Amino acid sequence: MTVAGSWGKFDSFEGRKFDVLDAEFTHAVTELLGGQDLTACFQCAKCSAGCPVSDKVNIQVHEVMRMLVLGIRDVLQTDMIWLCTTCYTCQERCPQGISITDILFGLKNMAFRNGIAPPGYVAARQTLYERGRLYEPTDWEREDLELENVPELDVDETRGLLERLGLMCLQEDE
Amino acid sequence: MTMRYEVFLGCAIPNRFNNYESSMRAVAEHLGIELLDFEGASCCGTVVLKSIDEMSWLGLSGRNIALAEKRGHDIVTPCNGCFGSLKDVDHVLHDSEEFREKVNEALAPLGLRYTGKVRIRHFVEVLYDLREEIRRRIVRPLDGLKIAFHPGCHLIRPSSVAGFDDPELPHKVDELLELTGARSIPWPLKLRCCGSPLLIASEDVATRILQEKMRSAIDAGADCIVTNCPACHMQFDVQVLGLKDEDGSSLELPALFVTQVLGIAMGLDHDRLALETNRVSLDPIAEVLGL
Repeated sequence: MTVAGSWGKFDSFEGRKFDVLDAEFTHAVTELLGGQDLTACFQCAKCSAGCPVSDKVNIQVHEVMRMLVLGIRDVLQTDMIWLCTTCYTCQERCPQGISITDILFGLKNMAFRNGIAPPGYVAARQTLYERGRLYEPTDWEREDLELENVPELDVDETRGLLERLGLMCLQEDE
Repeated sequence: MTMRYEVFLGCAIPNRFNNYESSMRAVAEHLGIELLDFEGASCCGTVVLKSIDEMSWLGLSGRNIALAEKRGHDIVTPCNGCFGSLKDVDHVLHDSEEFREKVNEALAPLGLRYTGKVRIRHFVEVLYDLREEIRRRIVRPLDGLKIAFHPGCHLIRPSSVAGFDDPELPHKVDELLELTGARSIPWPLKLRCCGSPLLIASEDVATRILQEKMRSAIDAGADCIVTNCPACHMQFDVQVLGLKDEDGSSLELPALFVTQVLGIAMGLDHDRLALETNRVSLDPIAEVLGL
């Protein structure tokens, strides 16, 4: 399977050589939310055995874990990062108690900062910033069902908050 | 037990699944659960914002939790995405002084503060507390109906955050559904993700997951698929429309929310259960539902 666009470019280990392993990168991943037990991974691959996209990705989740322990930054270019459904099956079942799904969230954050993300996420960030919601209420249907209006949201409040937290300047050129 | 909650609707339900809200409100009223309008609530951020920037996600949902805290009420939500997101943020802010301080610093100009006093619950958790009451109120049994129940991921996983049901053998919502006389059948891919979170990154992969799910439910002999999550229902009642497997046979199956099934069995007004807005035809089960 191939993935077009700005993500999923690392699609095979075939013919790749990694001369220098980046210990700083591994350390940075252990500092992520949920990353503290990363190096306890012993490659049993139980994570991939229960993963709903194992048979749909180029690089499986246990391979992602190996790349992290070995400090291979190219991991941010694998399709597994953005094709993780966030179902938490791997995390629930990991015999080493590693917060695998949470680590994948952290990797998504890293990838986004590096400009590696599906366009839908870039658009969703803008929508969340501008409106404080991902989707708007469908008023005509609510009227038909005699539902009250959705409670008011002052978007200046959420915009200000997201500005203070730096949502719109995650990448170097922002 | 207090049964007054700020109801956190999230974005998906008012946008596309007003039938879920309407049926939830009908069931809540019938059982004496008071739902307060959650003034000022924003999006929970869900897995989308957590994927983009965890600090912003902690702040946005931290604000929602702090709003409820200021008003002195617990939160209930009918959405797995909101439940998972709010619970997860609560979990992180509870455990990490560093993140709690950062979030509170960002919330200070809004006159809000997270201290962790608010309990966050899924609507089906509240219903589970009331199961004996529901049992007494079943007036229109659904005997013979075979349900493929899909709990959805974030209701049960990670169990350290969700804290609701067994993550590998969940049974609580199944128990609720079986109070109606229907049967919650076993099916191989019951705990498998519905694929919905991938609609934003790859509709192709999301659809392949959906095909596997639907095939599994149909092969197990289900009459319908039932959920307690708008994102999962999006797959089962919208994305599934016209979907076929490799042999060309339809993968559509009547799709209902838990609140609609319970509402029918408790004899609630069908208009309020909003069954006519379910997209996949309910005709194959119209007789047993009494439509």
